[in-house]
Parts: sequence; structure tokens; C-alpha cells
Amino acid sequence: MEQIPADIDDQDRAFVRGYLGGQRDAANGLIDRYQKPLYNVALRMLHDAQDAEDVIQTVFLNALLKLKSYDPKYRFFSWVYRMTVNESLNVLKRRKPTVALEDEAGLPAAGSTPDRAAEAEDQVGMALLDLKPDDRAVVVLRHFVSFTYQEIAEVLEISVKTVKSRLFTARERLRVALLEREG
Amino acid sequence: MLDRDRIELIHREIDGANTPEESAAVRALLAGDPEARALAADLGRLSHLFDQVERRDPPPGLKRAVLEALAQPAPATPPSARGWSAPFALIRSALSRLAYVIRHFPEQMENAIMTKKTMLIGSAAVAAIVVVAAIMTGFPPSGAGAGTIGGDPGMQGVQQAARYHGRTMTVADVSIDNPEIQVLFQNPEILRLVQSDAFRSMMRNSAFRQLQESDAYRTVMNSDAYRTVMASDAYRTVMNSEAYRTVMNSEAYRSLQANEAFRTLQQQGAFREAQSTQAMRELQENQAYRSLQANAEFRQLQANQAFRDLQASQAFRDLQANEAFRSMQANAAFRTVMASDAFRSIMATDAYRTIMASDAFRQLQSAEAFRSLSRSQALSEAFMSQAMRTQD
Repeated sequence: MEQIPADIDDQDRAFVRGYLGGQRDAANGLIDRYQKPLYNVALRMLHDAQDAEDVIQTVFLNALLKLKSYDPKYRFFSWVYRMTVNESLNVLKRRKPTVALEDEAGLPAAGSTPDRAAEAEDQVGMALLDLKPDDRAVVVLRHFVSFTYQEIAEVLEISVKTVKSRLFTARERLRVALLEREG
Repeated sequence: MLDRDRIELIHREIDGANTPEESAAVRALLAGDPEARALAADLGRLSHLFDQVERRDPPPGLKRAVLEALAQPAPATPPSARGWSAPFALIRSALSRLAYVIRHFPEQMENAIMTKKTMLIGSAAVAAIVVVAAIMTGFPPSGAGAGTIGGDPGMQGVQQAARYHGRTMTVADVSIDNPEIQVLFQNPEILRLVQSDAFRSMMRNSAFRQLQESDAYRTVMNSDAYRTVMASDAYRTVMNSEAYRTVMNSEAYRSLQANEAFRTLQQQGAFREAQSTQAMRELQENQAYRSLQANAEFRQLQANQAFRDLQASQAFRDLQANEAFRSMQANAAFRTVMASDAFRSIMATDAYRTIMASDAFRQLQSAEAFRSLSRSQALSEAFMSQAMRTQD
């Protein structure tokens, strides 16, 4: 498991200082660095591109507008990832509960695209929706942005023990949903 | 049967979190335990499946949208100048989402929709007062020194404004004797409003004058969406309703106008799915907001068919989504006007309400000649002077 390099934190702090000092380009730097991973986190949390876009816009705006309240003793990445997860969870809470269909949760329907990446995306996306949102967040942070247990704990403000518990439980469910049905 | 520790060990191996010693233990475990091998193989396939999922690029406009939203407030400016001044791209995006939101989250969105309605009411009120003032006092107001009529050098203080590229009238086209101007003098409600202390106080309000001088205000006044809304029957009916008047004069609504969360939501756009924002959460906890939601007249207004028609009209939505309109709402002067006693007093007058509902007023707004007249400082001052004499 690779940790976020320390120089990334230093660069983030430099961007933050620059932005607070009136350098508008600093916002560019922060957005360039984080927009893709944050978008992918929101996308996998929500399984909806438009919702994910809305979440990321909200997160960046809130982050930049509240940058003054950001405590630099904490790592910037964990702050924005936490905002992204929390905002995604808020969106999920507002969604009307739906009953997942058998086919949706597992394998793609017959006749779907043969493209393997698209197939994997469909399979994984639907299976993730079957997880509890808190568990899903752990899986997404682990498998889509490759965070360590410690980093996930930092982002979600939970213990490493809880991270592992949620991750292992969620993967067991995914294993059943995605693999055993394949036979 | 694998015990918990061994299962965890395998999971950790998949995640690359084991020490060399632990990895060696896993290898030994897999060599002697088929169940462990099966679990490791499944987790490996699962991990591979995740790896196959493409990491998508964010939408190309996302960064621009964020930067546009941040465009107005410079980070180093004083707190009073901060704020969400122009999240236009967000609003456009949110507009496209409105139908989806309503379709999928009706129960959960109830509060958000209530808030949207609250904001719409406020926007409509401002639009009304702004247009009255624009017509009565000229455009821009006295002191700005630049109108849009002709650019005749012989007319002091009136010069061509490059901003307005529509039909340009000449001085010869406009005069106090113009039939459209005469409509004003024949309307007792308008004259009564002009003479009222509340209106005069409003006209002296420096924030109101600043607002009139802003580009956003001018752009709104010139937008087709604004004109269409102002001329609609639904708008007039709402303006004329007792429920609307009561709501606008309620203490709860006034308190909301001073609430930062409410302002933030207004600036985000009434059609935004606002419930996800911190501002929305703060607003929902606000006592004034709660009071307004429980207000009988407020609920009555929401149930009013004209109000519903107004909200559903494309012109009103266009106005709400209009960048200039959003920018105007974010304007510090606009905020001050909304919170001013003068504004509240005008809203409370019978004359104001009557004017808003009058055919004469509607006709005036739709008249191109009158719109051009209203931009002339010299003519508006002449009108005010004439109006005062007429009242004497």
C-alpha cells in the first residue's frame, strides 16, 4: 500500500497559502490535482455521473470558500476527500430507496456491451450500490484511489480497526455478488 | 474453516499491507489450506475487477464552472466583499437536474422545494420594486451622468452607452409629451406611489442607487426573460394577492433576508438542488425559515395557481437562470436594499401593489419607447418634477 507522498502535502499547503494570499492560480493547482480522483470517488459512491459532477462542484466551492477555516496541521487531501464522501452520502440519503433487481446487482444482462472495461464498470457499479454507504465509501477509497487503511481512517474519521472491518465485510459481500454468480 | 485472523491476513495480503513475515505466513497458509487458496483467488479476482474499471476523466467544464463561481470574490478581499457571487455554471447544471430531482426525490425534496419557493417570492419582489424605480428615476440614476439616448452633445449628462446596442433612440424621439409618458400622469396609483414617503426614501437610498448603477442590474432590465415575466398575467396576479403581500411583510421573511444561509442559497440559484449544501442545512435550522414555512399566508401563496403558473413559466425560469439576475442578487448593494426599511415600506404600500397589478404598468414595461425613456437621467428627472407638480 502506497501512502500519499509528503511532498504532495507540502505542495497542497503551498497552494492553500497562495490562494489565501490572493493567488487565483493556486485554485487551478488544487483543482487540477484533485478533480479526477474526487470525481471518481463521487462517481463510484453515487453511480451517477451528473450527481458526481454536482458533488465535486459543491466540494471545490465549499473547500475554496472555507479555506480560511482549514487547519493546515491536517492534510489537505483528507479534508477534501472527507468533504466528497460526506457530500456523496448526503446525496444518497436523499435518494428514494429502490429495490435492486437481481440482474442489476450481479452480472450484466445478455446483449450488453462486450467491452470488458464497460462490463466491469457495470458489474462493479451495481454491486457497490448493494453495499451500505459507509461500507461503500471504504471500498471506493481503497480500490479507486488506493488509500491505505490509515488514510481511509483519516478521511472518514474512524479507527483503522473499523476500516478493516468494513472493508473485509464489504468485500465478502462483493465476492458473493460478483464472483460466485459467475460460477 | 478459516478463522478471523487468517481471513484478515489474506485480505491484508491482497491490499499489500502485510509485513514480509506476514506475507510468508500467508504463503504457508495457502500452500496447505484449499479454503484459504479459494478465498485468496476470489479476492485477487475481485481486486482485478476493480482495476479493470476505468478511472473516468471529470467533465471538461467542471473546473471552469468552479472557477467561474469563484470569479467575483477575490480571496484576499475583506469579508464583507466575499460570497458566492456568480456560480452561474452551477446554476445551469442544476437547472438541467431539476426534473430529475423532482421525479426521484419528492418526499425528501419537500424542504428544498419550499426553500426554492421562498427564494422565488423574494426574487419576484425585488424584480418588481426594481422596475418601478427604474422607470421612475431613470436609468442609470441621477449622478451617474450617462444615459443611452442618442448621445446628443447638447443634452448634458446624457451620452451614448456602448453597452446598449439595441434600438437607439434620439432625443427627438422622447419628451415629456410622449404619449407613453402621459400614461404615467394619468395613473393615480403611480403618482401616489411617487409621492409616498417610502418611495422617496427608497430613491434616496444609496444602496439602491448603487444597485441601479451595476452592470448586472442593467442587464436584467434589458433581458427578454425579465420583460416577459413582468408582463405575464401570472406575475401580476401574484403581485396582487393578499397572501403575497402578507408574506413579504412578515417578520419571518424579513429575517430570512438577513440570513447568510438564505443569501447563499439565493446566489446559488433557486433551481439548484440546494438541500445538499451546508447553507441549506443551516437555513433549515433557522427559526425565521421555520416560521415562514409554518406561516398560513405563505402556504396559501404556494397553493395559489397564479404563483404556480409563474414558477412554471419558462420566462420566470429563464430569469432565475439569467446570469445577470444571479449576479444582481449577489450584489452587496442589492442585499442592502433588500434589508432596508425603505424597501420594506414600499412593499407594504397599497399603491405599490396596485401598480404592479395595473394594465397601465404592464403596457409601459412592454413599450420599447418607454424603456428607452427610462434610461435617460434627464427625462426621468423631468418626469419626477412633472409628477410632483401634477400632485400639487
